[in-house]
Parts: sequence; C-alpha cells; structure tokens
Amino acid sequence: MLRLFKVKGDSLVPDYREGDFVVIIKIPLLWFKLQPGDVVVFRHPEYGTMIKKIEHFTPDGESVFVIGTHPGSVDSRRFGPVPRRDLVGRVIWHVHKPGA
Amino acid sequence: MIYKILENLDKRFGVEEAKAHCDIPCGIYDPITAQIAALTVVRMIDLMVDLDKTHPDKDVAFYNSIARYVGVKEEHAEKVKHEIRVIWGDYMKAQHLEKYPDAHALVHKIMQLGSKSRQTADRETAVQLVEAVNQFAQIFWETKNVATKRAKAPYAPALELVYPNL
Repeated sequence: MLRLFKVKGDSLVPDYREGDFVVIIKIPLLWFKLQPGDVVVFRHPEYGTMIKKIEHFTPDGESVFVIGTHPGSVDSRRFGPVPRRDLVGRVIWHVHKPGA
Repeated sequence: MIYKILENLDKRFGVEEAKAHCDIPCGIYDPITAQIAALTVVRMIDLMVDLDKTHPDKDVAFYNSIARYVGVKEEHAEKVKHEIRVIWGDYMKAQHLEKYPDAHALVHKIMQLGSKSRQTADRETAVQLVEAVNQFAQIFWETKNVATKRAKAPYAPALELVYPNL
C-alpha cells in the first residue's frame, strides 16, 4: 500500500533534493485519480526507478508525460510518455533532508 | 527528527532509491573493456611463457618481470569480473534476462573463469574466459538490437572478439 523511497538526483530541485525521503501510495488504487502536478515514482526499462512530476496525460489516457523541474532533467522529453502500468505510486508524503 | 528515523531505517535496511535523473544519462555500457581485459590475461600468460623459455638463468630481472606480468594478469582478470558485474547488475533488466535466461549462468561462468585465471597461468582457461566474455558481449549487443561481427583483435594475442557491426 505504502512504500518509502529515497530521492537521488536533482531534477526536481528545488521541490525535491537528493537525500529527501518520499512515501508513496501504490498504484493502482481505486479511490484516487492522478492529476497533472502529482509527483510519481515509476519504473523505466533503461533508467530504473525514477521520480518525476506528471505534466499531462496522453490523449488515449494510457500514459503520462513526466517532467523534472531542472533544465537538465532526463524525462519524457527524452524518453517519451510512461505507460500507466509502469507507475509504482504517487507521492503522498515528503520528508526534506535537513539543511537542504 | 523524522528524517533521522528514516535515515536510520535506510542505513539498517536500505531504502530503494528513486532517481530524479538529471545530467548526462548513464547508459554508457560497453563490454569491450572486459573483452580487452580478458585478452590481456592471455597476453600476460604468453609473455610469462616466452620469458621462461628465453631466460634459462632465473636472475633477479627475470623474477621482476614475472612479478609484473602476474600483477597485470591479476588486475585484468579482476577487471573482467568487475566490468561484467556492472553490465549484468546495472544495465540488464528483467526483460533482458527473460529473453536471455542463460545470462545468469554465463556471468557465473565468467566469474569462475576470472578467478581461475588469477589462480593459475593456464592459457586454456584464459582463452575460455575470452570466449565467455564474447558470448556475453553478443547478448549485450543483441539487447540493443546492434548487429555484431567476429574479428581477430588487431594485436597480440589476436584472438577473435565480438564487435558491434556499426
């Protein structure tokens, strides 16, 4: 149901920084709907487990276009939309690294 | 306070990382480093055998050279193991391993041949190491849909290597 992840990398700076912890609620869940702006954890075949922000949904609703906030972010602009089945969960709790 | 608790959890149990990937993407993997290292192991054994044949008097210079060859052989056999572990562990994903179920056994074979190449000066073992790494390279390039070719390395010991046919 819930899972803990540690953020690695700075593509979501300044909202999320390396070393932050996030708790996600696993997908699929019936009682919530993903929305643009949600931060999600997903599995990517090349890059592994990633965390990004949903920018929009593809017209067919089957995939999400994810982005980072940093200009150098590696995200859907590079590897395309992420299929819903590859989403692990949505961030519901964010614990900042002290001093970051 | 909460961060400290989570940090302790991470130290004790290891929390999975979610990458907010940003920079030059990783994904730069190439088995050629392991292939060259495996060739080097064979080369060092050849040099040791040649030196032994051409130096009936085992003087200090002889032992010095042998020690250097052994050192390089050790280093490169270990490098083979390291490079293969990185590709196997970091690059290869579940779908690759589903498609190439023998990859695990092949990696294990490379680990064993690498160790044996350190322990002995057996050329046949080192040649087997080169071939096992070639087979791994073949699988690696297939996962990237890159055609391969086999060609002799343009330097001693001139054994056949698997190269991407670009």
